[in-house]
Amino acid sequence: MTGGLRRKLDVGRRVVAHAGAALSAAFLTTTIVLAFLAPWLLPIDPIAQDLAATLERPSREYWFGTDELGRDILARVIYGARTSLLTAGGAVIIAAMIGIPIGLVGGFFGGWRDAVLMRMVDVLLALPSILFAMALIAVLGRSQAAALIAVGITGVPSFARITRAQVLSLRKRDFVTAVEALGGSSTYSMFRTVLPNSWSPILVQVVILSSVAILLEAALAFLGVGIPPPTPSWGEMLRTGKSFLYEAPTYAVLPGIALTLTILSLDTLGRTLASVLEDRREIGADTIAQRGSA
Amino acid sequence: MIGYIVRRLLQLLPVLLLASIGIWSMIYAVPGGPVATIVGENATPEQIRDVTERLGLDRPVLVQYWSWLTRAIAGDLGSSLHAREPVLYLIMQRVPATLQLGFAATLVGLLLGIPVAVASALAPGSWLDRVLSGWSALALGVPTFWLGILMILLFAVELRWLPSASAFVPFFESPWQAFRNTLMPALTLGTYVSGIFARFLRASLLSELRADYVRTARSKGLPERDVIGRHVMRNALLPFVTIVGLSMAAFIGGTVVTEAVFTYPGLGRLLIQAISSRDYPLIQGCILFILIIYVMINVLVDVLYAYIDPRIEYG
Repeated sequence: MTGGLRRKLDVGRRVVAHAGAALSAAFLTTTIVLAFLAPWLLPIDPIAQDLAATLERPSREYWFGTDELGRDILARVIYGARTSLLTAGGAVIIAAMIGIPIGLVGGFFGGWRDAVLMRMVDVLLALPSILFAMALIAVLGRSQAAALIAVGITGVPSFARITRAQVLSLRKRDFVTAVEALGGSSTYSMFRTVLPNSWSPILVQVVILSSVAILLEAALAFLGVGIPPPTPSWGEMLRTGKSFLYEAPTYAVLPGIALTLTILSLDTLGRTLASVLEDRREIGADTIAQRGSA
Repeated sequence: MIGYIVRRLLQLLPVLLLASIGIWSMIYAVPGGPVATIVGENATPEQIRDVTERLGLDRPVLVQYWSWLTRAIAGDLGSSLHAREPVLYLIMQRVPATLQLGFAATLVGLLLGIPVAVASALAPGSWLDRVLSGWSALALGVPTFWLGILMILLFAVELRWLPSASAFVPFFESPWQAFRNTLMPALTLGTYVSGIFARFLRASLLSELRADYVRTARSKGLPERDVIGRHVMRNALLPFVTIVGLSMAAFIGGTVVTEAVFTYPGLGRLLIQAISSRDYPLIQGCILFILIIYVMINVLVDVLYAYIDPRIEYG
């Protein structure tokens, strides 16, 4: 157990050793802390309206100005982070809960089960994900749950495909064959043998998909079909800010910066994590090869 | 080759069939059912009966699906509930605008992406490579709708060079007006795809540069320009065709967000309008249309790739 923990800490250390990844991790940590602890940490209110001070330029009182109802833009951006992070987190969980079992079953059993499941995944890929999400929302109606489900479902194919590929490559390995030869059931084999050895590509996928989910949620809100107001959301702020480009040019700047930095940080973390884990996997294969010859 | 094309098309059938069932059943999955959505809450029984009959909802489900499918295949996607015009007609009106934007954006993407990829692949690991890779990551990470807003702020609000809302002007009617109206949306979308293009072409160039024929070409004293231009580029561009094709496929429907930023009257905006006015036949029509085009371009790209690279097995 301690060995596993040390290995995880080691991966973490090697990711943070990259300057870009360290910066990204720091930014994301700050965002998460601010987003969830803001009510206790900061004297700001994202809902309080000041109708005497609407669409104000940045000032000492309102660092990034106010919106069309006189609400503090900075406060709304900080609370908007909560919407983005929660949607992304929820969507990734939905995608993983559906996608990973599909990939496991398809890769493990092959045959008609695999064919049926993969055709279903193909259908999800037959439309660009934003259109798929919009179609789902058109059916479900506009709500927080609809946005969450729509973003989550579009993430299913990547988890399914990655897990399936992982299963197919692991199945040929001796330790899986050994479990099967010893009479381990398919369920045991899937969940106790194959899945624990697939966590690194899945983890990379979780990070990448979080970034995609945040972008998709914001895009849906920008199009006016995402999480309905008054919940502060970066995409919704960009949507309203766009209608006041001449009156308040600074309105749309801060939500965009927050959104872009979050996406870039997650992308950077994902890429670094992938390259660090890639190295590890090669080392792992080597050690197994050595053990095999010995 | 023909066998390969036929096989690829046959593979599509189950996907198209499943997708068509999904799109068709959309209207039934709507809370309250299709009739209530169309006539509203205060409808008289007569109105309800009228709409039910008009949509054929009183017939068995399979019959409904079959008649919907056969009419759709024949090009009859029904009529819009609000515009009272055939859905296909409304869609076709918007296609030229989306196509023009898609081509312009691909052009921008190629013009920005190819030089970046070549410059960084020629000196991998150098400071230039790192700067350019950072640029690609930025191009991919910045949400297109925010980039579009920044462009409007700069070119329309500050400098007043370009209109903040882009109308569709056919290029062959008035090239200058078309240029002025398409420039910002094309730059916005083009920047994003240039990131994809640059990253992909760089990787493809790097793997080609390691090939034996490059060493041979260099050792026989061929000038570096010919090594790159005549040998490496040609081979590296092969897989690149796939990526360019796929991004164009995505543009058919994927310009939704950019069209919204610039209020550009393309297919994407038609779909958004349809969704916000709950015009279900129009929503179904748009999605079915985009889906078929998207899937067909995907097959076309595969076939094209198999054609230009004979090493591909027609598997």
